[in-house]
Amino acid sequence: MTTSLAQTKTDKAPANDRLPGNAALMFDAVSMTFPDGTQALDTVTLAIQPGEFVSIVGPSGCGKSTLLKLASGLESHTSGDIWVDRDSLGYTFQDATLLPWRKVLANVELLMELRGFDPAERRRIALEQIELVGLTGFENHYPRRLSGGMKMRASLARSLALNPAVFLFDEPFGALDEITRERLNDELIALYTRQKFTGLFITHSIPEAVYLSTKVVVMSKRPGRIVASFDIAFPEPRTPELRYTSGFAEVCGEISLALRNAMEG
Amino acid sequence: MARSQHKLATERYLARPVVARPSVSQRSAAALLPPLLMGVLVVIAYIWTRSGLETHRQFLMPTLEGLWTQAFSQPAVLSQLFNAAATTLSIALAGLAISIPIGMLLGVVMFRFQVMEKAIFPYLVALQSIPILAIIPLLQSALGFGFLPKVLIVALFTFFSIPTTLLLGLKSVDRSIIDLFRLQKAGWPTMLIKAGFPSAAPTLFAGLRISAGLAVIGAIVSELFFLSGPGGLGQMLINAKIDFKYEQMYAALLVSSMLSISVYLLFSWLGNRLFSEWHESGGR
Repeated sequence: MTTSLAQTKTDKAPANDRLPGNAALMFDAVSMTFPDGTQALDTVTLAIQPGEFVSIVGPSGCGKSTLLKLASGLESHTSGDIWVDRDSLGYTFQDATLLPWRKVLANVELLMELRGFDPAERRRIALEQIELVGLTGFENHYPRRLSGGMKMRASLARSLALNPAVFLFDEPFGALDEITRERLNDELIALYTRQKFTGLFITHSIPEAVYLSTKVVVMSKRPGRIVASFDIAFPEPRTPELRYTSGFAEVCGEISLALRNAMEG
Repeated sequence: MARSQHKLATERYLARPVVARPSVSQRSAAALLPPLLMGVLVVIAYIWTRSGLETHRQFLMPTLEGLWTQAFSQPAVLSQLFNAAATTLSIALAGLAISIPIGMLLGVVMFRFQVMEKAIFPYLVALQSIPILAIIPLLQSALGFGFLPKVLIVALFTFFSIPTTLLLGLKSVDRSIIDLFRLQKAGWPTMLIKAGFPSAAPTLFAGLRISAGLAVIGAIVSELFFLSGPGGLGQMLINAKIDFKYEQMYAALLVSSMLSISVYLLFSWLGNRLFSEWHESGGR
């Protein structure tokens, strides 16, 4: 079962498109100020079309993660509008956030359990997702016995089980080593190609952002504003060789430059 | 020629050959021998101390032989010890059966409503600071000399660590796990059962182990004040003193501490069974 939102992988709409009906996720002049008066976000406007995969890069503490919390409703914005279907959201956190007292299988079943899925159905879906992320054979392991990469795979499987239309990623691979990270990037591309969700991905790594995304957005230091936006035109699905092409390096370079300006400005 | 000004005192380091793992019997000997030797030392110290006592005061420290002939070898004393231990244990467990559920309920209420935590916590600390022995006479006057006041004393003895450890455990639930549940719009009871309790369980069990040990002590103390009803170990201690049967007193003491240790071990074992597979405190 795929949601209608994710099925229609439309052509890219113009960047200034502001019709919330089209976008899978839209921030319309969103600002956020904490109770203590510090402003986290300053009139952020970003429309993500169904099937797009957008990454946000920006200095530490610029409010990137806050955007995801606002989109999901974990926190509230203080002005502007957000348009999203919160019932079909997927969310992965900076760490895998597995429940340590549950084995992998029960962890992958958790969200379905909370949504009231039938036990047999959720078992079937969980096993399927575990196979997709390559954890078959580890269903009965407790999280403490898994490596960091495997934990993250289990976490992805847990979110994917709900077949989210919009998937929010809060620096999911930030704590992993380079090799594991690149492998998980490829696996994420395979999952994205298969399940056709709309992605919003927060990362510190520009190559990761470029490799995964159809668009990379650069944010300024706090209060976070969007200062640059790059459409990434490399053909999909991306393959690992792309990372070693001069075109790829060039795009990364441009974004690095924009990020450097954002940090100074 | 030399590029570096450092003077090197190079030495040769030898490889360390693989040492065979000690066998099971070697390892169990290594585990058992130290406490066993310590026990022997304690017995020697006991005998030595006793030999230093004036003859008319030596009754205070019965000989091992006396302990055997006057207490542990006598069926009547043994059955008395057994019955007394059963009575004491029933008081201790009944007390825990009151303090654990009420304590847990209080912990949950304090967690759920911060205002309740603010309201109740100071009084919990105050309750803990009252010497419970000092309110036993009051309990006697109010409730008489039956089973109930003894059980209440145990409940008071064991209460404090239960709501406090549960509250601490519930407050320490991983923030992002809570977010995970909130994203699925899980209700508060669901979060408590599926995230709160499992996450708080190891902390709570640390509290339960403390309470379990205190329960037996509380039961014995309560009996010292209530010399009525079916006698427990505390009563046996007092009666042995009155009857001048110090061997029996020592026997009752030994059984008391064995009881206390057993209840502690029971809760440790239960905790281990529940979390050793997933919690950091558990063995691999």
